[in-house]
Amino acid sequence: MKAYVVKKLLSLPLILLGASLIVFLAIRMLPGDPARLMAGPQATQDDVTRMHTRLGLDEPLAVQYGHFVTGMLKGDFGISLKSGQPVSQEIAERAPYTLSLALLAWILAVLIGIPAGMCAAVYRNRLADHALMIMAIAGASIANFWLALIAMETFSVKLGWLPLLGAENWQSYILPSVCLGIFPMAVMSRMTRSSMVDVLGEDYIRTARAKGLAPVQIYFKHALRNALIPIVTIIALNFGSLIGGAVVTESVFNWPGIGRYLVDSVRYRDYPVIQGVTMITVASVVVINLIGEMIIARINPKIRFD
Amino acid sequence: MSEITLSKSPSGMMTGLRWLAKHPSVSIGGILVLLIALCAVFAPWIAHYDPYEQDLLNILAPPSAQHWLGTDDYGRDIFSRIIYGARISLIEVIVSVALSLVMGIPLGILAALCGKTIDHIIMWIMDVIFAFPGIVLAILLVSVMGAGLMNMLLAIAIFSVPVYARLSRNLTLGIKNMEYMEAAKALGIGHWRLTIHYILRNTLGPITVQATLTGGSVILAAASLSFLGMGVQPPLPEWGTMMSDGRNFLGISLWVSLWPGLAIVISVLGFNILGDGLRDLMDSRL
Amino acid sequence: MSASILNKYRLAILAGILAVGGITSLQAATLNVMQNEPPRSMDPGDQTATFTSTVLRPMYEGLVDVSPDNKIVPKLATSWTTSDDGKVWTFTLRKDVKFHDGTPFNADAVVTNLQRHLDTNRGLAASSRLRNVIASVKKLNDDTVEITLKKVYPTFLNLLTGGSAKMVSPAAEKAGTIGRKADGTGPYMLEEYKTGEYVLQKKNPHYWGEVNGPDQIKWTWSAEPSVMNMALLSGQVDVINPVPPQFGQQLKNNPQVKLEQGDGTAVFWVALNTEQKPLDDVRVRQALNLATDKEALLKAVMFGFASAANSPLAPVNEGYDKSLNDYPYNLDKAKALLKEAGYPQGFEMNIAVQGADARTAQILQAMWGKIGVKLNIQQMESGVWSKAAFAPAPEKLANRTDSVLASWSSGLNGSDLQLRPLYYSQSAAPAGANLGFYKNAELDKLLDSAASTMDEKARVADYVEAQKVIMQDAPHVMLYFQDDLYATRKGIEGVRMEPGGEVIVINAKKP
Repeated sequence: MKAYVVKKLLSLPLILLGASLIVFLAIRMLPGDPARLMAGPQATQDDVTRMHTRLGLDEPLAVQYGHFVTGMLKGDFGISLKSGQPVSQEIAERAPYTLSLALLAWILAVLIGIPAGMCAAVYRNRLADHALMIMAIAGASIANFWLALIAMETFSVKLGWLPLLGAENWQSYILPSVCLGIFPMAVMSRMTRSSMVDVLGEDYIRTARAKGLAPVQIYFKHALRNALIPIVTIIALNFGSLIGGAVVTESVFNWPGIGRYLVDSVRYRDYPVIQGVTMITVASVVVINLIGEMIIARINPKIRFD
Repeated sequence: MSEITLSKSPSGMMTGLRWLAKHPSVSIGGILVLLIALCAVFAPWIAHYDPYEQDLLNILAPPSAQHWLGTDDYGRDIFSRIIYGARISLIEVIVSVALSLVMGIPLGILAALCGKTIDHIIMWIMDVIFAFPGIVLAILLVSVMGAGLMNMLLAIAIFSVPVYARLSRNLTLGIKNMEYMEAAKALGIGHWRLTIHYILRNTLGPITVQATLTGGSVILAAASLSFLGMGVQPPLPEWGTMMSDGRNFLGISLWVSLWPGLAIVISVLGFNILGDGLRDLMDSRL
Repeated sequence: MSASILNKYRLAILAGILAVGGITSLQAATLNVMQNEPPRSMDPGDQTATFTSTVLRPMYEGLVDVSPDNKIVPKLATSWTTSDDGKVWTFTLRKDVKFHDGTPFNADAVVTNLQRHLDTNRGLAASSRLRNVIASVKKLNDDTVEITLKKVYPTFLNLLTGGSAKMVSPAAEKAGTIGRKADGTGPYMLEEYKTGEYVLQKKNPHYWGEVNGPDQIKWTWSAEPSVMNMALLSGQVDVINPVPPQFGQQLKNNPQVKLEQGDGTAVFWVALNTEQKPLDDVRVRQALNLATDKEALLKAVMFGFASAANSPLAPVNEGYDKSLNDYPYNLDKAKALLKEAGYPQGFEMNIAVQGADARTAQILQAMWGKIGVKLNIQQMESGVWSKAAFAPAPEKLANRTDSVLASWSSGLNGSDLQLRPLYYSQSAAPAGANLGFYKNAELDKLLDSAASTMDEKARVADYVEAQKVIMQDAPHVMLYFQDDLYATRKGIEGVRMEPGGEVIVINAKKP
């Protein structure tokens, strides 16, 4: 176990290193003077010269990369070209919005997806199963921004029940979190169903039935507990796709999170922001994945992710 | 003498149909995907209007006899644009999956066959790419390469590469040490040629399944990027771009966004169901 | 089971509802205004965008102002005199006025303000219009300032009501904070500027005059038309400006909302780079004008809230000639001109647009496609677009910025400000807004002649002639005159719009 943990922890910096290399090189690949690009369209010649020194453009590429990494480790992601504020500060302001939205979406997905999957497993091959699984596969196929537009048209414009704008009050959370949560909900219900079906076929379940235990006991206490492991796997490892989904969802709902921040920054060619948000996003996904894998390894030592 | 009558064996078509009925996923999924492909190929015959023709005095019209799905904010016929959009979606899937395969499979095979250092390096790169949420990586790449259909497809292809690389690596590892490989070696048959030959033959199944499943996610990713303005550029009738047009007219015309979105759902559904069905088929065969 | 739970938490639920209610009523004293773009700067002298000026208006003042019935009235200057030759103006300044940061307003402040525009190294966006007119400024004593003009300029006082002449705190200007932190003498002061989110203004407790508007003004913006529309319909905002035209009719019919429509002064056009082949040939430029079906375009883009542009002058400008009709829609004539110029198969060109005008560009793409012109649309975010639009000639040629879609409005400040920044040879970008580097000595003469005479008849004659010359030379493809559209919730009083698109909210009353 220990060796596994250590190995996993060592892989973390390597992955982050690789990601930072990609981000660093990607921006360097742009045509034109990197200093001018990083200083922005409104920069004066002085600003550009200062940026030139700051980026160390006369030094070899490896040294520049070194500056880039040390800067990030210190928490310095540069200054946003659009607002002139430090990128790290703007990320810190926006991250809670994305996290709260993602959390809400995730909770919705768990609350609805898992029971749905269980239901489908219990009534497998009957109407309920088919109906639920059709809904699940449909849910996995819907573009969440389409759902968002339709929901906005219906609930905000036509019915006026829910706000359209950003993140003013708690009602604003409803539409975005539902739209964001549909895909994980669908995935979770399918995973729950298939792992429950596997478990329900096991011997100890048959034993429990033979013993005459109440169905509720069987399903919740025994089956679900064992089916939980693959489910937890999926939950943890899907954080990345949740963030990806958040990028689009935030853009549709004008949600003041880091997803919309990234999209806006591309439109504005705000390269420091693009770099910063990408790195932070990758870092969080990697860390959460790692934590997920650790938890799973703890629960069931038989599963290893190599 | 009694006649021995051989009962007529069911015709090939009946067997085929019965097989399809027994495997609803493959059939339904297959039909949907086929539908998209047919629309793509026969677009000029199915669509009634030129998808680029503007009719500025007739914008945002609701569905009618002349315009089955209504017109968009330039007066273009939505139905025609959706049919031509199928063409673009098909191209997206084919090009992107092809690129992923061409990049990913050789890498995986290389990693498995060359072992240790090269394996570690290749897998490290794959892990790094995999660590990026797909959209985020695509956005980064598009912001650097510029928007446009091909750039977007390349970006999407790149973030799917790790899946294929891992798959082909594992499959290759699986057969690398099989006995018959030893036998072949003993017989002096070209090591590399044999490996690749055998690998490609045996991995075709799982890779087809994977490719079908990614087909759906390619369409979704492309639509998302185009919706954000980072993919296909107007006036190309791509479904995601069409939906972003409709965004400015919420409350006036839902049609502009509704139909392209529905088209996306149907095609992604088709690929997903087909992929599921194929996977079940593979699993049961094994 | 559920009923008793409700009972148990009844008090809590009630408290919750009251709290929410209380919070919403606390905000009743704030006027919420939404526009479609963020403010470019907090410094009125460093921007020329109408919607930025709108946001800054409650916080800054100039020496004079324009009254609702279009008369010049005193503001920071209480009186003024002119010399006999009309070139020297002497202003008596208002006493006991302070900037928001406490710095006193006096002659030194005025000098600092005008000098920063006259300084060619300073590079402020709005300087050129002052620099073209003002020769020097001098302090006579603490309350008196003398401004000497380069030559007689009839609408000088109008010029002083504009953004470039609004007074900013010299201390803030010196500290370099004025771009982010507004600091003027106006009835409202900056409470908070959350970049990318909102600008919050509150009443200036030390204002020299009366403030009878809302306690706070909150400015937000959204590039999404549906969001602006929804925000107004749901009551989330009180005023929206400009109204996205596609919702105009809907809002007109809605009893909870008031739609205000005025003949606009904004002229929309495509600036053609006259240094770039083949746009250097006047026949090509005329062909593009002929290939543009203006009526269809404005129906599709402005939903009828506009009228076809037949002149660089807006209908409210002096000298506007309604009868001019140089380019009725005619594809055949357009094709013939192209052929004559040597481009029978057409050619390819780029156009730089901002997001809000993307539809117009796509429509032009289809229209000009009919005569063989392949238009490539380069859509850019506002900062990137400004840089491309105002780039000098060599950069434009290198980047192939062949044309720019934009608009110009000089409000009621006179035809000189409507034409000079766009068509005068020395207004070539980046110094002015002559984005296509149009040069015509005859036009320059006409503009100068009009600007230096106090004889109204002669001036009008000059402008009538000038607009003819401009239309013939076709440095722009003229598109439409946009109606000014803004909307408020029913019950909001005291909001008015100045021709030109600036919404004035400092006297607004919420029910």
